[in-house]
Amino acid sequence: MARSETNYAEAGRASARAALGKDRRSFWGRLLGNELYRAASAVLFKTERRQFWLLASFPLLWVFFAHLGPILQMVWISFVDSYPPTAGRVPQLTIANWTSFFREAIFVMPFLRTLAFAFVLTLCTLVLTYPVAYFLAKHVKRRHQLLFLLLLLIPFWVGEIVRTYAIMILLGNNGAVNLVLKFLGLVDRPIPFMYTSFSLGVGIIYLTSLYMLLPLYSALEKIPNSYLEAAADLGAGSWYRFRRVTLPLSKEGIASGCTLVFLISTGYYATPVLLGGPGTTVFAETIAGFFHVAGDKWPVGAAFSSLMLITTLAITGVFLKLMGRSGKGMLQ
Amino acid sequence: MTRHTRILMSLIYWAFIIYLFVPLVLMVMMGFKDSKFIGFPINGWTLQWYANVIQDTQVLGVFAYSMAIALATTALSLVIGTWVACFLGPNRFRGKLIVFAVTCLPAVIPGIISAISLRIFARAIEIEPGMLAIILGHTVHNVPFVALVVMARLATLPRSHIEAARDLGADAIVAFFRITLPYLLPALIGAGIFCMLLSFDDFVRAFFLGGYEPTLPVLIFAKLRSGMSPEINAISTVVLLLTAVLGLWAERSMRRLNKGA
Amino acid sequence: MGKAIVTLDRITKRFGDVTAIDCLDMEIMAGEFITFLGPSGCGKSTTLRILGGFEKPDQGRVVVDGQDVTQLPPNRRDVNMVFQDYALFPHMTVGQNIAFGLELKGRTRSEIDKRMAELLDFLHLEGLRERTPDQLSGGQRQRVALARALAPDPKLLLLDEPLGALDAKLRGQVQVELKDIQKRTGKTFFFVTHDQEEALTMSDRIVVMNAGRVEQDGTPEDLYFRPRSRFVAEFIGETNLIHGTVAGRDNGAIVIDWNGLQVRGAVGEGGVPAAGANVTAALRLESVLCHPQKPDGANAIPGRVVHRLFKGSRTALDIRVGEGEDAVLKAYMDATEAQRIVHENLWVSWDASRLSVLRD
Repeated sequence: MARSETNYAEAGRASARAALGKDRRSFWGRLLGNELYRAASAVLFKTERRQFWLLASFPLLWVFFAHLGPILQMVWISFVDSYPPTAGRVPQLTIANWTSFFREAIFVMPFLRTLAFAFVLTLCTLVLTYPVAYFLAKHVKRRHQLLFLLLLLIPFWVGEIVRTYAIMILLGNNGAVNLVLKFLGLVDRPIPFMYTSFSLGVGIIYLTSLYMLLPLYSALEKIPNSYLEAAADLGAGSWYRFRRVTLPLSKEGIASGCTLVFLISTGYYATPVLLGGPGTTVFAETIAGFFHVAGDKWPVGAAFSSLMLITTLAITGVFLKLMGRSGKGMLQ
Repeated sequence: MTRHTRILMSLIYWAFIIYLFVPLVLMVMMGFKDSKFIGFPINGWTLQWYANVIQDTQVLGVFAYSMAIALATTALSLVIGTWVACFLGPNRFRGKLIVFAVTCLPAVIPGIISAISLRIFARAIEIEPGMLAIILGHTVHNVPFVALVVMARLATLPRSHIEAARDLGADAIVAFFRITLPYLLPALIGAGIFCMLLSFDDFVRAFFLGGYEPTLPVLIFAKLRSGMSPEINAISTVVLLLTAVLGLWAERSMRRLNKGA
Repeated sequence: MGKAIVTLDRITKRFGDVTAIDCLDMEIMAGEFITFLGPSGCGKSTTLRILGGFEKPDQGRVVVDGQDVTQLPPNRRDVNMVFQDYALFPHMTVGQNIAFGLELKGRTRSEIDKRMAELLDFLHLEGLRERTPDQLSGGQRQRVALARALAPDPKLLLLDEPLGALDAKLRGQVQVELKDIQKRTGKTFFFVTHDQEEALTMSDRIVVMNAGRVEQDGTPEDLYFRPRSRFVAEFIGETNLIHGTVAGRDNGAIVIDWNGLQVRGAVGEGGVPAAGANVTAALRLESVLCHPQKPDGANAIPGRVVHRLFKGSRTALDIRVGEGEDAVLKAYMDATEAQRIVHENLWVSWDASRLSVLRD
């Protein structure tokens, strides 16, 4: 043996002989030594390329089948005249499902209303939560920031239904707000907040404020205090500092937050049903209506849904372009 | 910042906190009201509604049903999400951006569209509305979040650790299970709890993909359509407690594990 | 000793347009401490990674102990590495880290324990077995990384600039320890560094790399006193460069015309260039001897001190020996001796074998 053989290996072998039979070998050691495993991995892991495709196969399948599939299927059936398929009937391709949208006001109105709502609510949420995010990022000591954030998160864990219900209790005719107003003598009879655009707006802002707050906080937190100090040093007043330094640097957070809130608020179904009234029907309710009955209405619902998807994504895309970012890859 | 601004900002924060908590507090209070009628003022207090809820087998059954779905989807989402993250994270290949975008897709689509498309898809692949459909639907929705969280953690694993493991005799499988997976544990726990919460709280998907048995949010929604009642408050309060505990526990364990690892 | 344990057979590696290693062809002897030395980007780290199996060469073969391992992945080679950041697994104890390689080889628990005890003792890590890496000091971590790499008894140990993270004082200590460990285990160490002092201290053999090619391959003394190229001369230690023309030969030494002076130097491998050809020769600062009076023997020239710098244990002198701009030699002198030189006049001489003619 070469001189580089040391006593260590020999000692190892000696003790192995001595302890024959009683010793445990590690599971992984046994796995790597196992004949079947070695044969399998010799084939499966033969080249880097093969390893890559082994790793890639399931995720690719899943992502394109389960994530993209439903969307594609939905768009597909929007172009047939009957779904689910009934016996003895061959579905025909048609664009009637799409065109029917433009013919009826009861379809167009909720659509436009939903979009308008989403715009306004996004703006309100931005204005409402920006100061809070700013306070958290700039005025709270780093050590405490997590705690303050945690406090904000707790109400969001309980879910949209429970929180919508809580708003119902708040705004109802016998709700807390009316109680206070009556108590203060400002009104004699309760103000009907519920089942209006107002109640719906309050509800949605209540539900989505976190989705605006977190990106804003994240962006503001990244702005080094030294920038603001430098600006102050050069003579900028606090409003000027905010407008010329803080605001532009938080642009990414604003973009993320607005995008999230816009997309989420167009998608609510339960909250408009519970908090809104006949005059506030949103497009989600319109779409859902087509799926409560079996038969030929599904394709229309699919068409409307696809239309909404295209529109909201288009609006988001334009918005992000305007804000100078390259698209939906950056959800963090 | 001047002191005045600081005080003002602080007030804004606490006002916001109050704004977030007050409706929930009111809801909890209402669950103790001694009256079938939901509304202020509260004249009498009782624990009767909670007692009812705890004994109501239907509610308990729905609770367990939601829990079971949450657990199942969490398990699935963690496995799938981690696999996707391990594929996307370190590798560079053409079309990576597209795959990443499609991965994130379910998280950015408006809820109603997600639910509708899943409903249609379920029909297309002949899965009946029911537990399996909900589990799969939730999983589709959860995977992007798991993938993002795991990818973030994976990016901080130094490449040398994996190389060291390979150098010492580990093949790709052993290196993953003995080095990568333990390293990912904090992220997995955080992502797991997040999945539980997302699934437990979800309404739209469960509503459209569900069969005869409702999940908890769907049950509450159905009850609310026929009017408010104290039982709903009691149920909602229990949900509130449960999710608060779950969420806080997640934060704590993630904090501890991130320090250790 | 004397047997080649690793052969690098015409290895070439390219990254895009850049040639990281250009036809590297050499052998590594069993039991030697060999260092690859050079600036960043010279190809030393790439060579290390090819030996470890983390890169595959575009051309050429790697043979370890008779076995062609070129296509083998790292886990199937009998080669282990100590990483620059040590790469200790953070969720495992010291013991588990060290045992890792042995477990995967299928050793039994008692075998592993025995080997571990030996290694812990050998590397002065007693009592640290149950600690986790974040509870260790830098030096301890380095020793654990070493123990982990040595445990499976590899044929070749690779070390990737492992002393970079240590502070200067600790580094000196660890250099001595590492050399000692290598001697005692008799293992072949392949060490990579950009620190020439480190290389000189520890190595049996140094290979200086530059832009993918080997500049010079020899013992530390060889490289220090007989650098063959300008790159090596300037990279290792401090040196005087003498640019002159060949005047002829004299008793086995080469005579160079330099600034009107005739100086003698050692003939390099390439033989004596033609008379009149331009040459550059290197002379280490320590090789320049300074005398207050003219010494006996040839090869001494008069000079004048134009600058001195007190450095504690010695004084650095700039000595002008001629009129030309480059006719200044740098030298070291013992501080007390330097004080004796008054009027700034002295004589400098050197052993002809210390003035080596460079290839370029």
